[in-house]
Amino acid sequence: MKKYSFKSVMTALLAVMAVNVAIAQQPHVYINPGHGGYDSDDRNMVIYPFGAGDSAGSWESKSNLRKGLALREILQKKGYKTTMSRVTNTTADDLALSTIVALCNQSGADVFYSIHSNATGTSSVANFPMVFYRGYTGSPQIPNADVLAADLEPYLYANQSTVWTNNYQIWGDWSFRPEWGTQGYGVLRGNNAVANLSEGSFHDYIPEAYRLLSLAYCWMEGWNISLGADKYFSRLDSFGQGVITGNVRDDRIKRLQENPQPFIVIGDDNLMPIGAATVRLLDMEGNEVQRCMTDTLRNGIYVFKYVEPGTYNVEVTEPSHFSQTQTVTVAANEPTYQNFYLKRVRDTPPVVVDYSPVWQENDPAVKCSASIMLAFNWDMDSVTTCDAFHLDPPVEGSFRWEDSYYRLIFTPTDAFDVNTLYTLTLDKSAEHGGGTPMEEDFSLQFYTQPRNHLNELAVFPYEGAPVHYKTPTVELRVDSMLDTYNLFQRLRVLDSEGNEVAWNKRSIKYNKNGDDYGYVRIPLVKNIDVGKDYQLILDVDIADTAGIHLPAARVINFTGVDAGADKPGMQVVEDFESADNYSASTGYGIGTGHTYPLTTSTDRLFGSHSMQMVYDFYDRTRILIEPIDEVAATFNLGDTVGVHVWGDMSYNELSVCFSAGEYTYPLPLGTIDFHGWRYMTVPIKNMSNKDYKFVGFRLTRGDESMSPTGTIRFDNLLKKASSGIDEVPLAGLKVKCEGDYIVATADTYIQGLELFDANGRAIKAVGGNCMNVASMAHGIYLVRVHINGRTATRKVKL
Amino acid sequence: MKRLMIVMALAAMLLPAMGQEVEVTSQRRLLDGVEGPAYYPVLNASGNRLLFSNEDGALKLYDFASDVTTTVTRDRVVGHDACFGGDGKVYFVTQRVGDDHLVYRTGRTFDAATGQLATVTEEQHGAMCAVPATRGGAVKAPGRDYTSGSDIGSAAWTEGSRVHVMVGGEERVFSPVDSWAGYLWASLSPDGKRVAFFAAGKGIVVIDLRGQMLAMLGNYEMPCWYNNDYLVAQNAKDDGHQFVSSQILLIKADGTWQTELTKPASMAMQPTCGNGRIVYTTVDGLLYEMKINIYD
Repeated sequence: MKKYSFKSVMTALLAVMAVNVAIAQQPHVYINPGHGGYDSDDRNMVIYPFGAGDSAGSWESKSNLRKGLALREILQKKGYKTTMSRVTNTTADDLALSTIVALCNQSGADVFYSIHSNATGTSSVANFPMVFYRGYTGSPQIPNADVLAADLEPYLYANQSTVWTNNYQIWGDWSFRPEWGTQGYGVLRGNNAVANLSEGSFHDYIPEAYRLLSLAYCWMEGWNISLGADKYFSRLDSFGQGVITGNVRDDRIKRLQENPQPFIVIGDDNLMPIGAATVRLLDMEGNEVQRCMTDTLRNGIYVFKYVEPGTYNVEVTEPSHFSQTQTVTVAANEPTYQNFYLKRVRDTPPVVVDYSPVWQENDPAVKCSASIMLAFNWDMDSVTTCDAFHLDPPVEGSFRWEDSYYRLIFTPTDAFDVNTLYTLTLDKSAEHGGGTPMEEDFSLQFYTQPRNHLNELAVFPYEGAPVHYKTPTVELRVDSMLDTYNLFQRLRVLDSEGNEVAWNKRSIKYNKNGDDYGYVRIPLVKNIDVGKDYQLILDVDIADTAGIHLPAARVINFTGVDAGADKPGMQVVEDFESADNYSASTGYGIGTGHTYPLTTSTDRLFGSHSMQMVYDFYDRTRILIEPIDEVAATFNLGDTVGVHVWGDMSYNELSVCFSAGEYTYPLPLGTIDFHGWRYMTVPIKNMSNKDYKFVGFRLTRGDESMSPTGTIRFDNLLKKASSGIDEVPLAGLKVKCEGDYIVATADTYIQGLELFDANGRAIKAVGGNCMNVASMAHGIYLVRVHINGRTATRKVKL
Repeated sequence: MKRLMIVMALAAMLLPAMGQEVEVTSQRRLLDGVEGPAYYPVLNASGNRLLFSNEDGALKLYDFASDVTTTVTRDRVVGHDACFGGDGKVYFVTQRVGDDHLVYRTGRTFDAATGQLATVTEEQHGAMCAVPATRGGAVKAPGRDYTSGSDIGSAAWTEGSRVHVMVGGEERVFSPVDSWAGYLWASLSPDGKRVAFFAAGKGIVVIDLRGQMLAMLGNYEMPCWYNNDYLVAQNAKDDGHQFVSSQILLIKADGTWQTELTKPASMAMQPTCGNGRIVYTTVDGLLYEMKINIYD
C-alpha cells in the first residue's frame, strides 16, 4: 500500500511535470487584428448594397477582427497560448500602435501577427498577399521574423477561393517604405516578439471586398495563418484535422456589375457566384458528415471545418442549377480547396425575345452605323449562335456578347452599305448554354440610310504642309457634328521616330450645336522641330454623334518650318508694328462700305506686334485692307513680294494689291488653308512695267461651307527687287516652246512664268508652268521661271 | 464608477479656468553626435542616470555627471523592460530566439558602481519583466520570481488586466477599470502613495494603494510621475500603420489640468522623468532633455 501510494504519487508528479513542461513549451501567439471601429481610418469599402459608413458593409477593421478571432479559435484548438489585442470592433479597440507593442511585449509572446488587408488606393487593380517584418528585406531586426513570414506566405497564397493578380511578396518594412527611414510600421517598432504584419489580400479589389464580408473566407485566412505558425514551430504534424473550402459559381453566367461605378474583375471572378447553395460533405458510404450553405454575399463560399482525414464527396445543390458532386481527399492540417462551376437548368428552347433595328416597310431608314442586337430568353452558346447568324447581303463585322450571353451585338467593321435592304436570319441551329437549339429560324429586315461615312471637309496640316514650328494647331473639319467624347485620343501627331507629341488638352475646341460643320481644333503642347517630318494620324473611329465614322484611317505627312526664317535678298517694306496707318473696309477707298477695326497683336514673328483683323463675311464677299498714307517703296514687274500671314484655316483667298494710278492689281498670295504663321509670296506679273505702289491686301470669301468669321494677322511685308535676269542654277529646269505654248519642267513645283521681250519689257505672266504664246510675234524672248521663291531665266525662240 | 467618471469629465472641461502655468526652461539634445538612434529612455529616481536602447535592442547607461555612456548589454532588451532599482542597480530582461523558435528570456542585473553583470533568473520560456522597487528590484518570471532582497520596499507592475502593488511586503492586485487588452506602465508616485498605470482602451488611471480610483487622466500612454502632483505622458496618434503625430503632455495627477510640453508635430514620445528632469525621444530616435517650471 505504502509502495503503491509512493508510485502513484510519483506518477502524478511526473504527469504534473509533463504538463508543466508542455505548457512551458507551448508557443504563445499574440494576435493583433489591425485597426478597430468604424471610423475614417478603418478602411470602409463602399460596395452595393451598403452605403458609405454602414457598419454592415465592408470594413478592414471588421474583416481583420474576424480573421483574428478565427486564428485564436484554431490556435487554441491546436494547443497554442494566444493573446489578442481586441475581440470587438469599436473605436476604443483601436489601440495606439505603441500600446499594442507594449501589450505584446508584456505578454511574453513568441510571435506576433498583425492582421490586415491592403489597398492600392488607386484605380489600378491588384490582389496578392504581402507580409512585412521590421528591418531591411533579408535582414530582420528580430531574428527569424523573415522565417516566420516565409513560413506564412505560401499558405496565404495557396488560397484558391480568391483570384490573385500577382505572386506573394515578403518585405522588410524599411526596404518597402524607404521614405520612412527606419521608422517602419508602428506595430513592429520595439516589438520584442518575432513579429509579422500580414496584408492578406487587397480589399479595394471589389470582389475581394465582398469576400472579406464572408465569415467562412475570413476563417480560412485564420486557418492559413495558423498553418504558418505550425510550420514555424514545426508543429504541422501535431493537428489531426483538415479543412475543405471553395467557391460555387455558375459555369458561364457573368457576375453582375451592381456597384454604381463599374469595377474590374479578374479570372474566375468574372463568373456569377451562387449564393444559398446547399453543400454537403458525405463520407464514401453516403452518410452526411457536415452541411453548410454558401454565403449570400456575392461570393458563394463554403467551408467545412475540422474534417477528419479521408476521402469524401462534396455535393452542391441549388434549385436553378444542376447538382454537382466532387470527390476530395482531406489530409491532416492541410487545406483542401474545391471550387464548383455549376451548370444552369435551362428547361425551354432558346428564342429571340428582343431585337434591333426594328424596321418595316415605309419606316424611316436605319443608320448605316447601326449595330444589330438580338436578345434571348437564355444565355446562348457563343459558337453555335454566331455560326447561325447570316446577313444578306453579307457584311463583314464582329460579334460581342453582353449580359452574360443573353444579348448578342453584331457591329459591321466599316458600315452598312447605303440604300440597301438587309435581311438577317438566325437559323434554328443556335443553341443556349445547355445545348438545346432554337425551334424556329428568326429573321428581321432593315433598309439603310443614304449616308454611311463621315466626310472630311478640311484638315490642317494637310498632306505635305509646311507648319510653323511654334505649338502648331491641328484642325479637322467634317460634314457632321463630331462625337467629342475622348475625341482627342483618336487624333495623334507622331514625330519622325514614332513618338507621340502631346496635345494641349486645355485649349481643345470642339463643335457645338448650331455650328455649320463638325470640327475639333487642338494645339500641340510644345513646339515641333524645324526641318523634321511629322505625321498626323486620324483614326477611323472618329465619328459623328450618330456613330458614322470616317471611311478609313488617314496618315498625313507634314514638316516643321520656321515661317519667320531669314529670307536673303528680301527687304522689309512694312513691319505692321502699328495698325494706325491701315483701314479695312468692303469698298474701294478708305473707309467706304462696311468697316472693320484693325488692331495689333503680340502674336508676331518680328518686332513687338503684328497687325490683326477680326472679320466676318456676313452679306459680304470681299474685304480690302489699305494703307491710309502710301507706303514709300515701289515695286516693279519682276519683283517678288512676300508677307507673313497668321492664318485661321478660313479657306478665304488673300491677294496683295498694287497700283500705279487708276487701277489696282491684285496678285493672289494664296488660300488661307492653314493655322499659324506662314510666309506667302508671289512674283509681280501680269502688269505693265511701271512703278507700282503697295496698296494693301484683299481678302475674298473662299469656300462658303467654312465659317464666315475669322481672324487674320500680318507681319513683315518683304520685297525682292528684280535684277532683270537672274540666273539661279536649278537642277532639271527645262523651258521649251512647243506649238502654241511655252512649257517649263523642273524637279519641283513651278509657281509661274513671266515672258520678257528682248528689251526686257514684260509681256505676259501666268501661274503654273504653261504659257499660251499663240498670239506672240516670232522672235527671241526671255522666260523667267518662279520656283519656290527663286527664279531662273531661260531664252526661248518663238 | 460612472458618477466618478462624469465628475472627472466635468473637471476636465474646467481645466482652462484652473490657472496653472508651465514654463519650459530648457530643452537640449542629448548625446548628439555620440549615439545613434536611441529609444525607450528610462531615468532613475535621482534623474542623474539614463537607460536607453538602440535600434537592435542593446541597452546603454548614460551618466549625466560624468557624461559617459556605458554599454550594459548587447543582447536584445526592450527599454521598458529595463529599470533602475532603489538599490541603484539596473534590472532588465534579455531574450533569445531558440532553435525551436520559442523566445527564451533571462533576468539580469547590472551594478553601475562595479560594472558587474549578473544573471538573476535563468533563461526560460514565457513572459518576464523587471520591476523597480523602492529598496531594490525584482524580476517576475514564469517560474520563480527573483527579488533583490527580502524587503524590496514598494513596487507596482502590471500583468494582463491587473495592477500589482507591493507595500510593506504585501502584494495587492487590483482591476479597477475594465480593459480587455490589458494594463501597462504602472509606476509609484515619488511619495509612494499612489499608482499610475495605463488601461488599454481607457487611458491613464491613478489609484491609491488600496485600489481606489482617484482619477482618469485621458487616453494617453506611458505615464511617468514628474513629481507627486504631476505626470508626464505621451499623446501619439497613428493611422493604423504609422505614427502621424506624437507629443509630450504634462498632466495634473488629479485630472484637473493638462498642457502640452511639445507640439503634436514634434513626434516626441516615450517620456521619462526623474527628480525634475524630463527626457524623451522622437520617432527617429533623437533624445531630448527638458526642464520645466510649474506655476500653480
